[in-house]
Amino acid sequence: MDRFLSIFFQLSLILILAFIALPILVVFAASVSPTATITFDPSQWTLRWFAALTASRWLDPFLLSLKLAAVVTVLSGLLGLLAAYVVAYRKCPGHEAIMALLVSPLAVPQIVKGVAIVLFLSSAGFYALLGTPGLIMAHIVLTLPFVVRMIAGAMYNFDKRLDQAARILGATSFQRIRFILLPIIKPGLFSGMTFAFILSFNNIPLSVFLVRPGETTLPITVINHMEYSLDPVLAAVNVASLAFILAAILLFERIGGFSAQIHGGSK
Amino acid sequence: MNSNDIEMVSVTKTFGSNLVVNNIDLAIPTGEFVSILGPSGCGKTTTLNMIAGFAQPSSGEIRIRGKSQRGVPPEKRGIGMVFQNYALFPHMTIAENVGFGLKMKKRPAGETRDAVQNALRRVHLDGFENRYPKELSGGQQQRTALARAIAPEPSLLLLDEPLSNLDLKLREAMRVELKDIQEQLAMTFVYVTHDQDEAMAMSDRIVVMQDGVIAQTGRPAEIYEHPRSSFVADFIGKSNLLPISDIRQIENDWFVSLGTKGLTLSVFIPDGMSGHDARYCCIRPEAVRLAVTDEGIPPLPNRLEGTLSRIVNLGAYFDCFITLKDGTVLKSLVRSTRLPGLAVNQAVFLSIDPDAVQLLSR
Amino acid sequence: MSSIETLSALRQPTHLPVRLSRYFPLAPPLIVLMIAFAIPMGMMIGLSFHDADTGILTLDNYVRFFGDDLMLAGLWRTALMSGLVALCVTVMAYPVAYYLARSTSRWRVVVFALAITPELAGVVLRTYGWLVILEDHGAINNLLTWSGLISEPLPLSKNLIGVVIGLTHVVLPFGILSLLTSIQGIDPNLERAAQILGSSRVSIIRHIILPLSVPGIVSSLLIAFTMAASAYATPALLGGAGFKVIATMVYEQVLFYIDWPFAAVMAVILLVMMLTIAFIGARVEARLHRKLHI
Repeated sequence: MDRFLSIFFQLSLILILAFIALPILVVFAASVSPTATITFDPSQWTLRWFAALTASRWLDPFLLSLKLAAVVTVLSGLLGLLAAYVVAYRKCPGHEAIMALLVSPLAVPQIVKGVAIVLFLSSAGFYALLGTPGLIMAHIVLTLPFVVRMIAGAMYNFDKRLDQAARILGATSFQRIRFILLPIIKPGLFSGMTFAFILSFNNIPLSVFLVRPGETTLPITVINHMEYSLDPVLAAVNVASLAFILAAILLFERIGGFSAQIHGGSK
Repeated sequence: MNSNDIEMVSVTKTFGSNLVVNNIDLAIPTGEFVSILGPSGCGKTTTLNMIAGFAQPSSGEIRIRGKSQRGVPPEKRGIGMVFQNYALFPHMTIAENVGFGLKMKKRPAGETRDAVQNALRRVHLDGFENRYPKELSGGQQQRTALARAIAPEPSLLLLDEPLSNLDLKLREAMRVELKDIQEQLAMTFVYVTHDQDEAMAMSDRIVVMQDGVIAQTGRPAEIYEHPRSSFVADFIGKSNLLPISDIRQIENDWFVSLGTKGLTLSVFIPDGMSGHDARYCCIRPEAVRLAVTDEGIPPLPNRLEGTLSRIVNLGAYFDCFITLKDGTVLKSLVRSTRLPGLAVNQAVFLSIDPDAVQLLSR
Repeated sequence: MSSIETLSALRQPTHLPVRLSRYFPLAPPLIVLMIAFAIPMGMMIGLSFHDADTGILTLDNYVRFFGDDLMLAGLWRTALMSGLVALCVTVMAYPVAYYLARSTSRWRVVVFALAITPELAGVVLRTYGWLVILEDHGAINNLLTWSGLISEPLPLSKNLIGVVIGLTHVVLPFGILSLLTSIQGIDPNLERAAQILGSSRVSIIRHIILPLSVPGIVSSLLIAFTMAASAYATPALLGGAGFKVIATMVYEQVLFYIDWPFAAVMAVILLVMMLTIAFIGARVEARLHRKLHI
């Protein structure tokens, strides 16, 4: 009985993992297959679909998504630092309530946040803000709670005695932030910013309300095409954008070092 | 007038309704190694934090080098501190850690480099400049913390149980080094510890704290030989601490009765004490002389007989527990080479010099 | 100077007044959240109580929603879809989470990466993959037709089946993570104790692991349900034009019918639904946790 269970367990594990991997493998295969029919024969593979990506119908949305994600990442990083500083580092009176307030947008589904922002901008007469400014606003509402949480997590773990040590060595509060606090919470900051970048770059439920003709993000462009056809170019776009995200993660990791164990001297 | 590096004037610290430090007066002369010694919760760390500026006195005043420190933040006090957990900056190399204080004061790079080199050499860590704290052993981290504190050459160094995370051997070696550094640099050290051996080994002066007040201040020998209370006697070193049931004077001699069954000792009353105030007597184990025959001990006074009920072998010494006829247990420290054949249940003879019986009023 | 004066001169205030300046750094993030979140949300909720044309305060929009069979069908479809996704996710996440919590094999890292990294790929890539696999002339139907098992393609996409498969794939990593946390919290010694007492693997799972991981199961169901119920892209693409859930209906209402108060009503109903489920779920979870983990 136990043996049977063990085999059954392993088999189901393999099937579930196959289920997870399957659509991704299919997209990879589709992106290099010469025709719309997928082939898993590497000798037939081609990069012709990727060559089509330099056309402006793909390049422009990509650049918009990139700029949007970059702005959102930097802004939510800065805003997140400010908020986490008061809440998690200074632990000002009421910090728990303020934290709850800062992460409250998480309780609201993205599609609802999207509707709220588009109705606000339209009915309050800020039509001009639809498009890129609206996208930035909406994406920051999405990413800020996550970023605050991650930076605050790092700051809650920050050993206050390091601060005392720096203080007695003559460091002013500005010097302590710059030389002690920021370097030590950097991994938390950068993992938060990486998360913000991915969330923004891949976002659909908010973007779908705020894009305008000529100002469409990459994922929205792709789903607009997907409703009509499963052109292999779309597979190539998807693979390329995944590759881009992985590259971005590696870059953030190089700067922020969030995966590396940091050299800790104190317990 | 101001040969004192630190003066604390009726300093009190309360946390809520909790009186942590109660009206302390303390002056620490320049160049002295002072230990603040006491059990956990006695207020010694709070006292240190108030000197450092991490805590503000609820009332009273702290002066450093003659200047009131009210409203002066820690970073402006110009003192060094070694923390219990070392608090090394994990993202900086050893050299960066040690040079941090000078960097904050915006000293020229060359000067900083020399000071770092000097400090590291002093703690025997030259060659470790580019390592990270995580890559060093506990002892090396401790030395780094010390080097970091002395590199800016403060005149005053606070140490908060700096050796408590090290193993015994290392701790004993570091005591000698700390004392050497303090003497070479002629710095004032304020050393907080709960370890009486540490305090005895290094200090010029010991401040014993109990429940937020200073129980006694004095040179190590003074405190050991003349504790002023049963608390100090018990906390510093080993002792036979016995409550006095009766004290009486017969001509010029004083006698105390201990317990109810007629154990009586002849004692001397020190100057300035009234014999009738004595509540406890304290006898250090090494003052309890033990012999296996009654010729082995001096004739008079204070001769006692008993049975050896337990022997704890400390290597060079035996810690002997002797049960007297009336049931009282006394401890005696015996050099193991003097009486190598001691055995449990053996009848033994004790004598105690009246000089060695400390009378305590509380 | 009397001694009392000396004393009061030395006394310092023990309680510093709460300094407002400490809160200044909060201003930028709070202003951003105010403008881009709080005000729009308030405005949307307000709008849902106003008549589209006259702007008069009214409950009509809600009355209209609950009187409209299309809307109610959409609501029901949303609940059915989300319930199925929650079930599939939890059933599939459980073995993976159990393996990740207990395995010491070197494959553990690989399984973990496989289970979690697809999240980076985004919804679009995965939905595209499923469309290629499930559509009428997709991989599965081609295979089955070619092998002669079927003559007509099976309807795997543009319907509930396709959406549930696609959403399960999207939500699965979250289910795995919430179950993983729960199973990791179960002391492995309990299993060893049961084993020493003579339990078989089956009865250990039945009597030890399953009951103790109920809080994890509940949180997996909840997270899967709420994520599915508010998903937009997967139902839109894998469900086809005829498959309407609240999220896709809101989108149409905003961008095609331009009936803002009614769109606001639908968004508010979706929000209330989510908050209610989250609230009940949190209560249930807390109670179970108290009961099982002392």
